[in-house]
Amino acid sequence: MTFFTFVTRGLTRRPVRTGLTIVGIAIGIAAVVGLVGISRGFETSWQTGMKSRGTDIVVSNMGRGLTPKPFSATVVERITPLPHVAETCALLVDLISVEKADMMIVSARQWGGFSWKNLKIVSGRLPNDAAERAVVLGKTAAEVLGKKVGDTLQLETEELAVVGIVDGGAVVEDGSVILSLPLLQEITGNQGKINIVDLRVTPRTTKEELTRLCAQITGLVPEARAVIAGDHIRDSQAYRMISAMSWGTSLLAVLVGVLGVMNTMLMTVFERTQEICVLLAIGWKRSRIVRMVLWESALLGFLGGVGGVLIGVVGVQLLVTTPAIRGLLEPELNPQFLVMAVAIAVVVGVVSGVYPAWRSSRLTPSHALHG
Amino acid sequence: MSRLVAAAIIGLTLAFSSRAADSPSPPTASDLASRLSALRQDGTSYVRLRMEIKGATNETLQLQIKQRRTKDSSEVVYQVLYPKERKGESVLLRKIGKQPASGSVFVPPNTVRPIDDLKEPLFGSDLSYADVVENFFAWDQQAIVGTDKVDGVNCQILESKPGNGERSIYGSVRIWIDERRLVPLRVEKYASSGQLLRRIDTTRVVADAGHHIPADLTVSGARPDSSTLLDGSRIKHNVTYTDSDFTIEGLKEIATPHTNSKK
Repeated sequence: MTFFTFVTRGLTRRPVRTGLTIVGIAIGIAAVVGLVGISRGFETSWQTGMKSRGTDIVVSNMGRGLTPKPFSATVVERITPLPHVAETCALLVDLISVEKADMMIVSARQWGGFSWKNLKIVSGRLPNDAAERAVVLGKTAAEVLGKKVGDTLQLETEELAVVGIVDGGAVVEDGSVILSLPLLQEITGNQGKINIVDLRVTPRTTKEELTRLCAQITGLVPEARAVIAGDHIRDSQAYRMISAMSWGTSLLAVLVGVLGVMNTMLMTVFERTQEICVLLAIGWKRSRIVRMVLWESALLGFLGGVGGVLIGVVGVQLLVTTPAIRGLLEPELNPQFLVMAVAIAVVVGVVSGVYPAWRSSRLTPSHALHG
Repeated sequence: MSRLVAAAIIGLTLAFSSRAADSPSPPTASDLASRLSALRQDGTSYVRLRMEIKGATNETLQLQIKQRRTKDSSEVVYQVLYPKERKGESVLLRKIGKQPASGSVFVPPNTVRPIDDLKEPLFGSDLSYADVVENFFAWDQQAIVGTDKVDGVNCQILESKPGNGERSIYGSVRIWIDERRLVPLRVEKYASSGQLLRRIDTTRVVADAGHHIPADLTVSGARPDSSTLLDGSRIKHNVTYTDSDFTIEGLKEIATPHTNSKK
């Protein structure tokens, strides 16, 4: 009989209790995977969207909303002459309800700006000019809205022609309704307003120069803030709140798991008092008893972690297919994150086992005589 | 020693009583109603919303609302933007002082009819015409009839009744008001007989122009097995309108107004 036989036997002795404890941890870890994966996915989706648009710096004012506040389009004229600025592209991006869809990203871009160039046409074409009353749809947006080339799309008061379906190379781009900036400004009564300036820098610009340029733009444009692409979403108070709430809720669920494991391990120690005392009597060191209890709780955590990751991944995959979320984000469920979730479960298991292990280390062989 | 204790007790008593005297007294029903009325009757605005009618036939509409509200008058235009087959359907409602509300309905291409009954549903939803034009906070009779919690939020229950000379399709309206944010979280509208006719629940509150407003609403009770969800997606204040926007000719035009500021 090996050391690990003792460890596994401790858990298999009460299979129902062990199973329920594993389910408890699994729910906590599933919450971590689901909630944190989605909130991180939101960030990643926007970062990927930025990359696919070929953006190095984003100038915007994220404020408290999920979309930036509008500011004057004249900002572009102040930014363009700065050193290291190669190209700019002004955008007006909004999250609005379109036809039957709950919420869609509507992304209006400066005509001829570099953000148009990365769109790969799946079918149809791009608008002919800035004045054409037409949109192109990201491929997910087309699916969500049930549109194909030749259909019309009601955007605010205007009926626009769907002239193309595009692959934007990122979930955010694929979930967008894309049109020319002057057209959306006219439709929404926001003439002269934009809320994002995408900026490309000259080749071989260093990270330090990028950071310096951001500071320079922020000083020059008080109504907005320049940040390196991908970081801008972290500026959003709404995103920070979502992220904090995700972690907060997940940690509460994990705490419940901790208490579950601790309870199970304490019960195990109490039930096995005689066995532990006999092990001490036949020469097991206290440290070995402590290790045995800790291994048991770590194993519980590991199994709960694996179960939680599976539940979380399946749950999230189902969630992102719902109409409310589809096309808006892709969850971040990369292997490192999933391994981290299992590691959290193992740490939870070990931490939960510390007190029961300490209790077991206080036993002496004579306790066996007291029953 | 006992003198010291007595002095301390007297001092504490005075401190607490003076603090109690300093604290603002709870608003009266009239105060609360007039503050909410002022927030509602706040000049010109433009609202975009999605209306989902759930019932025997599910239908989703995109609407735009043009509003011109002053202390004593309300003019509202509701227009359907989507679906395509209903685009352009419009309703104009006007209420001045205590006079009964009046209005017209326009159905493209050329049908215009006056609104005879304010109980009629707005675009087939669970809202009536009266619901979108009446300002019950301005009614003469206001009373706080209790407190309650709505989704864990402490609310004052305000009961409004139309006074002499005020005509309404309702006999009374009860409003659950989140006093901290000054926003109604629930509205129940009763017939003169006391029968509950309509219930409106606020499902999302947003901050707007320095105060809180209901953004999403659920309207129920008007018809069996039917409810209407209203999801507000945008509001603009200080919108420039002309008088013609609130005429029958104006109903026939669908355009987004220009704004002096965007919220």
